[in-house]
Formats: sequence, C-alpha cells, structure tokens
Amino acid sequence: MKTARETGLLFGRYLTQLVRNPVWLVVGFSTPILYLALFAPLLKNLPGAAQLPQGNVLDLFLPGILALLAFLSGMGPGFSTIFELRSGLIERFRVTPASRLAILAGPILATMVMMFVFDAVVVAVGAGFGFRLHVLGLAVLAVLLGMLMIIMAAFSIATALVTKDISSFAAITNGLNLPVLLLAGVLLPISLGPLWMRILAHFNPLYYLVEAARVLAAGVFSSAVVWQAFAVLTPLCAGTLIWATRVIRNAVA
Amino acid sequence: MDVDEVIIARELRKSFPGKRGPVEAVRGVSMNVGRGEIFGFLGPNGAGKTTTLRMLTTLLPVNAGSATVAGLDVARQPRQVRSRIGYVSQLGGADELATGAENLVLQGRLYGRSRAQARRRADELAALLGLSEFADRRVQTYSGGQRRRLDVALGIVHEPEVLFLDEPSSGLDPQNRANLWDQVRLLRDHGTTLFLTTHYLEEADALCDRLVIIDHGRIVAEGAPRELKRQVAGDAVVLSLRDDDEAAADRGVALLRAEPYVRELTADGGQVRLYVEDGGAALPHLLRLLDNEQVEIRSVNLSEPTLDDVFLRQTGRSLRDAGGENENEVAA
Repeated sequence: MKTARETGLLFGRYLTQLVRNPVWLVVGFSTPILYLALFAPLLKNLPGAAQLPQGNVLDLFLPGILALLAFLSGMGPGFSTIFELRSGLIERFRVTPASRLAILAGPILATMVMMFVFDAVVVAVGAGFGFRLHVLGLAVLAVLLGMLMIIMAAFSIATALVTKDISSFAAITNGLNLPVLLLAGVLLPISLGPLWMRILAHFNPLYYLVEAARVLAAGVFSSAVVWQAFAVLTPLCAGTLIWATRVIRNAVA
Repeated sequence: MDVDEVIIARELRKSFPGKRGPVEAVRGVSMNVGRGEIFGFLGPNGAGKTTTLRMLTTLLPVNAGSATVAGLDVARQPRQVRSRIGYVSQLGGADELATGAENLVLQGRLYGRSRAQARRRADELAALLGLSEFADRRVQTYSGGQRRRLDVALGIVHEPEVLFLDEPSSGLDPQNRANLWDQVRLLRDHGTTLFLTTHYLEEADALCDRLVIIDHGRIVAEGAPRELKRQVAGDAVVLSLRDDDEAAADRGVALLRAEPYVRELTADGGQVRLYVEDGGAALPHLLRLLDNEQVEIRSVNLSEPTLDDVFLRQTGRSLRDAGGENENEVAA
C-alpha cells in the first residue's frame, strides 16, 4: 500500500516532467513515424520481397517498430537518472523513507504510459496505411512490450547509477544498442539471415519479443514463439528489477 | 542511551575501491552531537566530510563502526532514521521543471503527509523562508540564493529532529550566506539539531556551537570554536623574512626558535608563523632580536588565533592550502 502510494507520487512527478520537456516528446513521436515513413516504403520494392510473407508490408514491419520503441523508451529513464544524480534529485528521494522500489517504479511506469501513447499513434497511423488490426493480439503484445520496457528501464537506471557519468553510460548503452537491435530482426526478420545469425539471435531477449510481436499482431496466439517470449522476458524482468532496486538501496552515487 | 545525544558515532569507517587498492575515506570517526546544537564538521575538500555525512544519513552503507541518529541505528533501522532526519545536499535536489511549491508538496507527501497537509506546510515554509513570491515559478528560473532557500525548505518539510546540511553556503554571496546563517540559527532556536559540513573557517567559527576538525578521514580536534582557539594559546605572529638570503633567513628562524616565550613555530621558506602568549609585548622584542642579527623583515602580521591556527597546529598545514587532492568528493 505504502509502496503503491509512493510509486503513484513519483509516477506523477516523472510524467509531469516528461510532458513539460517538449524535446523528448518530439523525439519520441518522430522516431517511429520516421521509420514508418522512410523505411517501410523500401520494403515494397525489395527484389527478395518474394521471400517475405504475403500481405501488406506493414503487417511485417509495424510489430518490429513497436518492439524497437519499447527498447528505446526503456533507455530514457537511464538518461534522466544521470541528470537527476547531477541535480541531487536521486539523493533527495533516497533520503526520504520512500520505498526504494517506488523510486524505481515511478519513472518506469510513467515512461510506459508515454510509450503506449506513442504505440497507439503508430498503430493508428499504420492502420490508415493498411495495417490489419487484431485487437486481442495487440493487447497480449502490449504486455510483452511493457515487460521489455521494464527490463530496459531497470537496466538503464541501474547502469546510470553505477556509472554516474554521461559518457560511460552512453558508451555502454550505445555499444549495446546496435548489436541487440540488429540481432533481433527489428527491421527485417532474422529468418532471412544465414544459420549462424539465426542461432546467435536466440541469445538475444529482444529477438523473442520481435518474433512474438509479428505473430500476435497477426492475431495468432497458439504459436510457440508467444510462450517462449513470456518464458524469456518474465524472469529477466524480475531479475533486472531486483538488481536495480538493490543498486538504489546501496547507490554509491 | 543519553537522550540528549542526538548523533552518536563510534569508529566509523569507509573505504572506496581505488585504482591502487582501496582508498580509506573515513578512518575511525567518533563523535557525539547534543540536542539543539549547531554542530560543524570542518575540514578541507576530500577530508571525508561528505562521506561521513552520507553514512549518517543512510545514503551510504557503513564499512565498520556504528552510528545512531535520534536513537536509531543507521545500519539496522535506516527507514526509521530517514523519517526523523532532513538532508540538504550540496547539489540541492529540487526538480527544475517543477515549481517550488510543487517540489515542497511532493516532498511532504513522500514523508506520508496528506495532500492538504502537504499544501499547508508548503505555504508555511514558503512564508518562513521568503519563497512565497516565486513559489509558483519553475525552479529553473530561481537565483542561487532562492534555490538554496528552497533546498533548505525541502529538508525541513517534515520537521525533522536533525537537519544535515552539506556545504550549505558554498556558491552563495555574502548576503545570502548571512541570510542562511540566520535561518540555521532560527531552526536551532526551535529545537532542531543541525549538523553541517563546511570548509569555510568563518562559517565554522561564527555559526557552530561545537565542531570537529577532520583531516584525511580522522578527527584531529573537537570542541567549541572558542575553546579550540584557546588551546592554540596566545597570539599568532607571522613574519615574512627576506628569503633571497637563505642563510640569513635560517639564522633568523633559529634565533626565534631559541626564544623561551615562543611556543610553537613553523617556517616555510621565509614565511615564519609562531605563537606567543602576548603578541603585543613580544613583537618589539622579536623585531629587535632579528634587527641585531641583520635579518631583514618584509612584513609582520599579528593576529588572534583562528580556527586555521588550530588546523595548522594539528596537521602542520593551513586549511586554506589543504585539500584539493580530491575535489570530487561529491561522487564518493
């Protein structure tokens, strides 16, 4: 109860701050829209397009964008944490009796709300260009997207608290971004790649989300990739949250 | 436990991993702080002030030793300690994109107050600290002095028993500093215990009822400013000898050292600092002595002892020159 109330308070603060910082909003909205506008058209005339599943190219591409958005949204709280360390805000919260989990969960949940707003916009725009809506599938997908975002956010906040400065933090997250995104088949399915790539992808949690996203967006629930995604993301989600809460408790910040 | 001891620390220790093995930041700090005192923690940058403060405020785990704050063990009952203390860090901690009032209300609610209670308290504090005029403006528009007042207000939202202030006056101009001192005294008069770190001699001297001097993670002196200065005994005389003639300067130092009424003497090149019981009476004698031996004097300075003399006597260095090895104590 106490933790829930404190989470609510810190959620409100973080969301207010996000809304008051229009730069983040513009960047947040423009990234997925740019992918849809400037990348999706390339797929249509791809010479190998025969290998791609039938149907609207957005049915294949849009779920990947949602996964990408979850991945990138999760990085936001990490960057904020670096600035909040600098301004003493983290210390100010840590010295109150507020639950350590609430200090972590408030910003994460606020970021999640923003992400779902972006997701809704992307889906709405996509639907306008022929993306077929399967509401139930998207609802299940939303749970997976939320979990991935929590994993990334908890990881990025903890990393920010441990590294404490923007350059080391940026080096770690940027170093991780590209291989994780490329090996997940966010833009094009990994199934197009050679065997070694397909094997390597199985060590990448994001890969499971992307695979599940494609089938769920098509309204299929029975596929093995759906439960595999839950099986991979659930423990990872719990693990990163525990780690991050511990870092906040002992932060040598 | 004595109810009048609000902070008791015993042999507190903390080390951090460094490039060449662990770096000991705090090496066995013990102290008692009484209720309703303004207690100062004076030392150069990197002396271990902030680290000690962060252990006392539950922000940093203790390596060894123990500490109780308001009768509660900081390691075993951190949450209970947190609800009884306030902390104003060097960085402040206000949310720049929120207004002063929003910051205060959130802080009050994090301490368990209802929305209405937190609002009332925010108004009260804004009036008390002269923030009312701009309480509804975003913090990013505040001046340094205004922001510091908000920081203090954030620290006392829940009427803590003990308020910890880390370098409260750093970066403030003299007027704002005087203003802050008044507020600190006002809080003390209302029964709050104040624990503050500072590297400003004037601040420690003028503001603190009692203080400890810390250097390299160890306490080197403890007492009321006046007592500490009395220990130095007498007045300080600073003589600047001509140092282009080293032999003459050395001869002068030897002569001075031989005088029975010179209590302590430190020499650095041509700069000689010594202590005598009565500076006014000793000075003519000292000057005559040096003149007779043809040791030329550039300047003479006579002063009553300051806390810097106390520091110098304990560590062999001047506080004004010490520190700087670890400017980035905030990160530790």
